[in-house]
Amino acid sequence: MNEIKPSQSIGIRKSLVDGPEKVSGKAKYSSDFMPIGCLVGRIFRSPVAHAEIIKVDIEEAKLLPGVKAVITGDETDEPFGILPIARFEFPLARDKVRYRGEPVACVAAIDVETAQKAIDLIKFKYKELPAYFTSKDAMAEGTVDLHDHRPRNIEREVDFELGEVDKGLSDADFVIEESFNCAEVCQVQSEPHAAIAEYDAEREFITVRASTQVPYYDHLMLAKVLKMDEAQIRVVKPFVGGGFGCRTESLNVTLICALVARAANGTVRLTVSREETFITHRGRPETDIEMQIGVKKDGTITAVDYTAIQRGGAYSGYGVVTILYSGGLLFGLYDLTAVRYKGFRVLTNTPPPGAMRGHGITNVRYAFEALLDKIATKLKIDAIEIRRKNLLKGPNYETLNEMFINSYGLPECLDWVEKESQWNQRKGKMGKFRGLGVACGHYISGASKPVNWTGEPHATVHLKLDWDGSITILTGAPEIGQGSSTMTTQCAAEVLGLDMSRFQIITSDSKLTPKDNGSYSSRVTYMVGNATIDAATNLKKILIEAAARKLDANPDDVECLGEYYSAGSQDEGLTFNEVVTAALEGTGTITVKGNFDTLPESWGTKKYRGGAVSGSMAYAYAAQVVEVSVDPDTAEIKVERVWAAQDVGKALNPLSVEGQIEGSVWMGMGQAISEGTLYHNGLGITNSMLDYRVPTIIESPPIEVGIIESIDPNGPFGAKEAGETSLIAFIPALTNAVADAIGVRPTDLPVTPDKLMELMEKNTNNAKSVT
Amino acid sequence: MEFMPNFKLYRPDNVDDAIKIKTEHAEARYVAGGTDMIVNVRRGIEQPQSLVDLTSISNMNDITEVDDGLQIGANVTLRNVRENQIIQQNYPCIAEAAGSVAGPTHQQYGTVGGNLCLDTRCLFYNQSEWWRQSNDYCLKERGDTCHVAPSGKRCFAAFSGDLAPSMLVYEAEINVVGPSGSRRIPLLELYRDDGMAHLTLGPGELVERVHLPMALAGDPSRYEKARIRGSIDFPLAGVAIRLRKGKGNAVEDVAIALTAVNPYPKIISGLQGLIDGNLGEDELDFIRDAVRKQSKPMRTTTVAPWYRRRVVGALARRLAAELSA
Amino acid sequence: MAEIKNKTNLSCTVNGRASDNIVSDSLLLADFLRETLGLTGTKIGCDGGECGCCTVLIDNAPQHACLTLAAKCNGKAIETIESLSEESRLSAIQRGFNEKLGAQCGFCTPGMVMAAEGLLRTNPDPNEQEIRAGLASNICRCTGYVKIIEAVQSAADELKMSGQAL
Repeated sequence: MNEIKPSQSIGIRKSLVDGPEKVSGKAKYSSDFMPIGCLVGRIFRSPVAHAEIIKVDIEEAKLLPGVKAVITGDETDEPFGILPIARFEFPLARDKVRYRGEPVACVAAIDVETAQKAIDLIKFKYKELPAYFTSKDAMAEGTVDLHDHRPRNIEREVDFELGEVDKGLSDADFVIEESFNCAEVCQVQSEPHAAIAEYDAEREFITVRASTQVPYYDHLMLAKVLKMDEAQIRVVKPFVGGGFGCRTESLNVTLICALVARAANGTVRLTVSREETFITHRGRPETDIEMQIGVKKDGTITAVDYTAIQRGGAYSGYGVVTILYSGGLLFGLYDLTAVRYKGFRVLTNTPPPGAMRGHGITNVRYAFEALLDKIATKLKIDAIEIRRKNLLKGPNYETLNEMFINSYGLPECLDWVEKESQWNQRKGKMGKFRGLGVACGHYISGASKPVNWTGEPHATVHLKLDWDGSITILTGAPEIGQGSSTMTTQCAAEVLGLDMSRFQIITSDSKLTPKDNGSYSSRVTYMVGNATIDAATNLKKILIEAAARKLDANPDDVECLGEYYSAGSQDEGLTFNEVVTAALEGTGTITVKGNFDTLPESWGTKKYRGGAVSGSMAYAYAAQVVEVSVDPDTAEIKVERVWAAQDVGKALNPLSVEGQIEGSVWMGMGQAISEGTLYHNGLGITNSMLDYRVPTIIESPPIEVGIIESIDPNGPFGAKEAGETSLIAFIPALTNAVADAIGVRPTDLPVTPDKLMELMEKNTNNAKSVT
Repeated sequence: MEFMPNFKLYRPDNVDDAIKIKTEHAEARYVAGGTDMIVNVRRGIEQPQSLVDLTSISNMNDITEVDDGLQIGANVTLRNVRENQIIQQNYPCIAEAAGSVAGPTHQQYGTVGGNLCLDTRCLFYNQSEWWRQSNDYCLKERGDTCHVAPSGKRCFAAFSGDLAPSMLVYEAEINVVGPSGSRRIPLLELYRDDGMAHLTLGPGELVERVHLPMALAGDPSRYEKARIRGSIDFPLAGVAIRLRKGKGNAVEDVAIALTAVNPYPKIISGLQGLIDGNLGEDELDFIRDAVRKQSKPMRTTTVAPWYRRRVVGALARRLAAELSA
Repeated sequence: MAEIKNKTNLSCTVNGRASDNIVSDSLLLADFLRETLGLTGTKIGCDGGECGCCTVLIDNAPQHACLTLAAKCNGKAIETIESLSEESRLSAIQRGFNEKLGAQCGFCTPGMVMAAEGLLRTNPDPNEQEIRAGLASNICRCTGYVKIIEAVQSAADELKMSGQAL
């Protein structure tokens, strides 16, 4: 007889538990639900950037045969927003419109042609107001305020100094400074926004399916704007075609869909176009950064002083959090002893940004790492060495802003990329127009304080064990393509020693699954993974006790081998099914629960207002080397190869971790070289996948992934963040590589060939005028 | 469900019927692969009462060797041009240009005729109905201002087809058929310098086939375009060059044509001086500068016009150097 | 009332089955497949020809269902993602995407798989360059394409080993 061993699931390359549905076309996304009699929703959008609404005349539209409802801002006077302190946005504009494309009215009709005809019949009367499309214009003296409670259009100003910055700068041997501009970027997740809402007038009950990363926040906001009891609302998240942060707050599309379905007393599908998805935005804000870094001759950083201004669009969204992350998350990567930060989140007449992958820190980190590289060149210190010089003094480190670093694999990440890229042999010897660049990044594993703080556990997972011997995982954690359902199944299977095929998983249905805050800030693996381990441990305890009863043994003597339980080598033991029967005898089907809570020491600092933002149970680390070539004639950058090392704590599923790191690196490449929005008087020019240039397979580079496992003491099996950190490191690694290739440092993103050619020519001309 | 305006689709199986239908329905538009036309219909840029689909016309589907050269039917797909061995050998830059249009899927059903007759493009024009309406439309369509050059009364939308320049350097001719019969004209005469109406086709006329002359078959050539991404993008600037060398590596014949930097595909003039000489650094610089001088990109794309002008010259120089090496 | 639309007879095969319908002239193939036939595997990810999510095979050639008028498909053989799994078993390409993690969120996957299907039918043994060239009309926002390339390579290898041709 072969030795019976528990099944192993953790650390093994696992394909996704929902993969077969995805590759066979069976997976149903929000826009794939089309019940008979379903109405079509269509949104009337503001043609102007800033105006007082005089009248939205919908009378004619309402009379059009086939139109079942037309609603305007009159439908609800309840504003929504992700942050309890900043809810000023209405699903449909009231009193004022503040950006071009803002929803003003919505039609539900029997078909799309009728809906469009009704839209064409809506008459929108307004009085235009001055509109501001740049942070600078919006902050100027004498502007009209977009919102009454936000003078001079400042959504939030952050100002802190930790350590003695002026002293640090005066102690420095060199102080170097630079300005950077990072264009606004969007997630461009594959699936355009969609929702389907089914209103049951008989029960006054509504069921909403939507493309969301946060079904629970949708639930709260639906109840608020519909003014319905939460119990009368069911939110279901079907398959979701990515998010990368743009679906981490309730979107107007979802709320409008529900409002119009109720008004029509029916079922409405609201699928918006790619252009409207761009208009709904919630990407990364345009950011202007001015940064000074002081260093000693040996490369030790003495102080950092910087300002970040974010063009925050017309509504708050996550804005306050974004501008706080831009300060708080400067810490925790290197040993910093003095930092001054001034941040301005500005309201403008453009669509509102949100919490894009690498939220808040990506652009600041780009500036920091680009500047550090420039310093290294100036001091003739190797770019990897200057980073080593400034590493944290090991794990068990507390930053100036009271972040606790319990695991820190950055040194190993640097070692890996140095070796694999043959940095020491090749750096500086690449020949003309070819270069290597390095940079680092880090990111949180979930925000330790959720945006809605009600004192409940951070994550709750249920496991249902039934007579058939199968286990159903019930979790609110939204699977959006990142592989959370697979991760959860792995965690449960590992604890119980069972094969993953014994499990099925039900996610994100408010009537079935326990509440979960959602898929954002890389919280799910850490928090829901831990909660799953807790639930599985509780179930295992029940099974062991049942086995003990059956075997007439002490529970402490019962060994769980997954499919087999025994108490010592003498007895025959029990099969898993026998243990299940024993466990359910008398009690029937059982559901156990597992929770996870963050530790208070991870809740951030009280040294400045908003210091809780950046607090996390663990931080993931990345180092990256990028190799580029630059075409001397066209100034096109080709990314030849990328070496990406990330400390993920523990790779629960190495296949999935690789996929996350590759996807992050590549999305960073988009922001670095080709992506960015442009507006013409507030009208988005790049609202298509032709003019907003997400990289194609042609120019996408080979990516070597190095997984570093520092085993975080509190992470599930030691795991932490895997899906954002590597995006952050790519951007500066690329511009540093470009500098190595051509001796010119781009400062503005994206580094499109026109911008680079301008820099190259300036450089040539300067060289000429010198000689 | 996508919103589509109501129209009548005709699918004639011969040219005469196509012309007849088109002539009888003044508002009708021809469509072939639809890679560009259907996008424009979806955006309300085109609001045809009728669409006359040409892809069922069977005698426009072939690539045929004839005595005086090669004939390519207007319905031949870009993929078939890209993969055709005769074209690859005798008119290489045409195969190259076909293979650079958008992406491989577009090339599967995009046609030669469609690419030659491609509408001009501008970032104020290739937008949704809502967008254009919110921006008071533009000179090219329903409006009275050109947002690229608001003071002027000209449309600067750029012709962005890849095939045209590659065929122009081979002195291609086209067969145009219409209500009054068939005529064979130089491809160059299909175009005029007007972004609003860049095609010279008369009412009901269509491009039936392209003729490539035997005399130039086998001349070395290259096509390259600048774009941000390696696929899908339209050219920011494109350049085709044919260069035949004779004794002592001297230039026997040279032709250069551009796309995406003018409202029409542009043949570069003033290259006669290069004939019978060698292409040294000075001559290559001359080519670069001539190309830059004759390209007039405007703010019709998200990328700066000055760059498109710089890069089209640089590409021309590079391709010329490559072909003369 | 909805206006009376121009209509055409459409006789074609969809996934090997004869399909006879009267469709409006302006109906897009993507909507015909999704809304009329309920084949929602074909996705719409952009406003026309920019993302490749709607890629289907028409007479073996990958084509954008969002830019193709359904009425133009008379007499044609249309194949969608739903046609590939035989008796609920994944096809080689689907298995490649599943096992190599060529699909993360899965929304671009049907189009990507159909483009790969079209590629392997004409070129059963593509090198990396040819795979890239064949899938260059399809945008994936999750994977960075690394694992998509591996997925197609793995499918081609599997088909070669088993002596099957698509």
